[in-house]
Amino acid sequence: MSVAETDRLHTVGADDISPARIAFGRALVWGAAAAMVAMFAVQALFEGGIIAFGFENWRPVLYLYIVWGVCLCIAQVLIRGEQGKRALFVIPAVLFVISMVVFPLLFGLWISFSDWNLSSLTGRKFNGLDNVRQMATDPFYWNALFNMVIYVAAILVEYAIAFALALLLNAEIRARKFWRVMFLLPLMLSPVAVSWMMGKSMMEIRFGPLARLARWLGWENPSFFGSPEMAKLTIMLMDAWTFIPFMMIMILAGLQAIPKEVQEAAKVDGANAWQGFWQVTFPLMLPVSVTAIMIRVIFKLKLADIIINVTSGGPGGATDTVTSFIFREYRDRSNVGYGTLLAMVYLVLIVIFMTILLKVSDRIVRRVTGMG
Amino acid sequence: MRLDVYQKLMALQASRRSVLKGASGAAAALAGSSALGGFASKAMAQGGLRAEILKIPGVGAGSPGDAEWQKVGELCLGGTKETVQEGEFAGVELTFMGLNNQNLHNFLFRGFLKPWEAYTGAKIEWIDLAQADYNARLQQSIATQTVDFDIIEMGAPFEGDVCGKGLASVMPDWVANLIDMDDYVGYLKAPVGTWDGKLYRISIDGDCHTFAYRTDYYDNEEFAAAWKEAGGEGDWAPPKTWAQVNAHAKFLKGRKDPLTGLDAHGFLDPLKGWGGFGFYFLEDRATAYAKHPDDPAWLFDPDTMKPRVNNPAFVRAIEEVIDIMDTFPADQINADPGTTAFQQFLAGTGSGLTWWGDVGSNARTSDTSVVGDVVGFDIIPGSDEVYNSSTGEWEQKANEAPNMAYIGWGVYVMARVDADSKKQRAAWSAAAHLGGKDLSLWAAAYPSGFQPYRNSHFQFDEWEEAGYDRAFVEDYLGSNADSYNHPNAAIEPRIPGIFQYYSVAEDELAKIYAGQYGSVQEGADAIAAAWDKITDQIGRESQIALYKASLGM
Repeated sequence: MSVAETDRLHTVGADDISPARIAFGRALVWGAAAAMVAMFAVQALFEGGIIAFGFENWRPVLYLYIVWGVCLCIAQVLIRGEQGKRALFVIPAVLFVISMVVFPLLFGLWISFSDWNLSSLTGRKFNGLDNVRQMATDPFYWNALFNMVIYVAAILVEYAIAFALALLLNAEIRARKFWRVMFLLPLMLSPVAVSWMMGKSMMEIRFGPLARLARWLGWENPSFFGSPEMAKLTIMLMDAWTFIPFMMIMILAGLQAIPKEVQEAAKVDGANAWQGFWQVTFPLMLPVSVTAIMIRVIFKLKLADIIINVTSGGPGGATDTVTSFIFREYRDRSNVGYGTLLAMVYLVLIVIFMTILLKVSDRIVRRVTGMG
Repeated sequence: MRLDVYQKLMALQASRRSVLKGASGAAAALAGSSALGGFASKAMAQGGLRAEILKIPGVGAGSPGDAEWQKVGELCLGGTKETVQEGEFAGVELTFMGLNNQNLHNFLFRGFLKPWEAYTGAKIEWIDLAQADYNARLQQSIATQTVDFDIIEMGAPFEGDVCGKGLASVMPDWVANLIDMDDYVGYLKAPVGTWDGKLYRISIDGDCHTFAYRTDYYDNEEFAAAWKEAGGEGDWAPPKTWAQVNAHAKFLKGRKDPLTGLDAHGFLDPLKGWGGFGFYFLEDRATAYAKHPDDPAWLFDPDTMKPRVNNPAFVRAIEEVIDIMDTFPADQINADPGTTAFQQFLAGTGSGLTWWGDVGSNARTSDTSVVGDVVGFDIIPGSDEVYNSSTGEWEQKANEAPNMAYIGWGVYVMARVDADSKKQRAAWSAAAHLGGKDLSLWAAAYPSGFQPYRNSHFQFDEWEEAGYDRAFVEDYLGSNADSYNHPNAAIEPRIPGIFQYYSVAEDELAKIYAGQYGSVQEGADAIAAAWDKITDQIGRESQIALYKASLGM
C-alpha cells in the first residue's frame, strides 16, 4: 500500500510516473552528487599538494553543492511526483541547517585537532591530540572553568531576587505597570552599553557616581575592580542587574497564571503568608522556575561581553570566563586550532551539564508537584 | 631641522635644549650646515600653506572636527592636483580599513579624503576598527585569504605578515617622489617599510614612547622641601632613571595633587592588557636594563629566538612595577594604557607616564585635557646599570634605550588593486594624500593619533606661529627627536605574530601583578615558555631569519 493511498487528507490523485522519468530524476541527483564529490576530491588533492591542478579556493565546491541541492529538489518531484512536491517544503530547510550548523560543526571538529596559527607560513597542520594535552595543562582554561562554576552558582541568588521582585510586582501596588517597565529596562540594554555605562563610567573611581556614593557611605578609596574578589563580585552584580529582569518577567508571567482561588483556599485552610508561598505558590511555580533558570544558565555560560569590555578577564584571571579566554586565544593570538578545540570541549561540557541539570530538575519538579 | 644637521650639532656637544632655545639656538643651527640653507628656502616656499593649515582651528580653539579636517584636506590637495586629473578616478570605489581610536584615525582620514574624493571622483568605503580588534581582523583576513580592503592603516610590525605574504602593492615611483620620503626621520627609512628590497609603506606616524610628566609636581616648592627633608636622593626634579621614578612615586603617596587637590600619585603603569599593546609599557621599563648598546637584540636571542623576557633585566622591570603598585590609584590594576593616558593622566591623575607622542599634542589641544599648561616631556627614563645578555652579567653604567614602540602607523595599498591600473593609481593617490608632507604637519600638531615623524616637523617656529608655547613644543618635540635619534633605541622586531607574543605576555603579567605566582621569576618564566610555544608554532627557523633581518643583522 503506497503512502498516497493511506493519506486520508490527500486531495490529489496518485501520480502516474514513468520509469524513464524516475531514471532521469535519479540520474540528475546522482550526476550532481558525483560532480560535487569529484570537485571536492580534486580540490582536496590540490590543496594537499598531491595534484597540480585545482582552484584558487573552495568556492567551486560550494557552487556544486548548491547545484546538487537544486537537483535534489527537482529529482524529488521527478521521482516521487506529488509526494516529492511536499518534500520541497522541507528539503531547503534541511540543506540550510546542514550547511550552516552541521557542516561548520564538523569543520570545527576537524580544525580543533590541528595546529593552526594564522601567522604561520605553513598554515594548518594536523596535530592529533596535542591540543587536548595542552588544554589539560592550561591553567587559564581551568581557571576560567572554575570561574564559570561560581558565575553559574550565583544564578540561585539571582533567582531568589527575581522571585521576590516578581512577587512584588504581582501584588496590588501603586503604579504597578510603571514599575514593571522600569524593572525591565536593564534587560533592554546591550551588555556592551552596560559595560561602558556602569563599568567604565559610573564606577570610575574619581568622578563616577557610584564611586562618589561609596565615598559618601564611608568607603574611603572605592575600587570596584581592584582586587580579584571585588572584581568578580562587581562583574556578577553587573550581569545580574542586566538579566534578573529576564527571570523576573518569566516568573511574573507564571504567577499571573496561577488562579487566585488556590491562595484563597490555602487561606481558608489556615495557611499563613509564608506557608501560602512556600507550600502552595512555590511548588506551583517550579516548572516555570526551572525553565527560567535553565535559560538563564545558558545565557550565563555565554558570559563574555561585559568581561571583555571591563576587565579583560583580570585581575589575574579572576573574572575570566571560558568564552572570554577563548576570545583572547582566538582573536589576539590567532591560535585557531587550539581556540576551536577549547570551544568544542566547552560545547560538550555544556551539553552534558544541561542534560544532567534537566534530568535532576525534572525529578525535583515531579517529586514536589507529585506528578512523578 | 634635518636629521643629519641635528646629529652634527649633537656631535658638537650642543645639547638639544641649548641649541633650540631662542634665536641664538636658531642661529647656531643655521650655521651648523649649508644643507639647511636649501631646506630653509624650501620651507619658506611652503610656509604660507603650512602656516595657514596650522591655524585651523588654532591651538586653544577647541578640538578640531570634521569641518577642520576637510578644510585641511582641501588645502593640501596640491600633490593630488599635480599628479591626477580632475575626475580621473570617477567610478572607482576603494575600501579603507583603519582604526577609530578616540574618534581619530579613520575619522580624520574621512575628512582629509572628502576633498580628494570630490576632486578625483573616486568613492571610499570605510572599515573602522577598535584598536583591540585590529590584530585579529587583519590576521583573519590574511589567513582566510579574504582581504576585503584596498588600503590599510597598518603598523610596521605587521609588515612580516602582510608584505612577507605578497599581499601589499609595491609603491610606484611617482608616489615616492610625491611624498618626499627623504624628509622621514632616520629610523623610519628602509628597511622599515620595505620587504625584500621593495618599498610598500607611506609613513603617517612615527612611534616611540616618551616620558610625560607633570611640571607642577616638580616646580612645587613644598614637594621639594619635603623631598629634601625626607632624605630623598638628589634634587626634586623630573626623574632620569627608573629607580628615581619609583622613589618619587613612593614619596608622593599620601600627598595631594597640586592641580586637582585630589590624592597625588606618582608614575602610572597601565596594568591591564590592551590586545597586546599593553606589553609596550613593560618594555618601557625594561629597555634601559635589557637593551645593551653593543647588542641590537633585546627581546629574543637572535640565533635561537630564545626569549629574553625572563632574563634578570625584564624580571627587574616587573619587580619595579610591583614595587610601586600600592602608590597607584585604587583601580589601576583594571586600567589599560588608553584609560591611563586619556582618562587619568590628561584628566589630572598621576605625576607621569610613558606614552606615544600624541599625549603631548592632546595635552594642549584636547577638550578633555586639564594638564596642558603643566606637562613636560623627556625620553623614557634610563638606568644606572644594564644587563649584558652575552655575558649574563650586569654592567654598572648609565644606560638609556628609548622604546620605538610600534614604529608608527603607515598607509599600505593592497596587492588586490594591482590588476586594475586605474584603481591602483587611485589607491596610491589617496594614500599619498594622507602621507603628504604638509598634511602630516597638521596631523602632528593637532589631535590625530599621530606624532611627528618627519624632520620638517621639528621646525619649532611653525609650531609657535600656530599658537603653541615655544618652550612646550621644544620640550615635547625634543623628547621625540631625542628618542628617534638615540643611538641605543630599542627597535621593535618586525616578525609575524609579534602581537601574539605580547598578548600572551599580558595574560601572564596580569597573573604576576595579581600575585598568583610564587615569584616574579616564575611568572616571567611562564611568559618565556609561552613565547617559545608561539615561536615553534609559527616556525622557529623562519622567525630567526626574519628577526635577524629586522635587526639588520
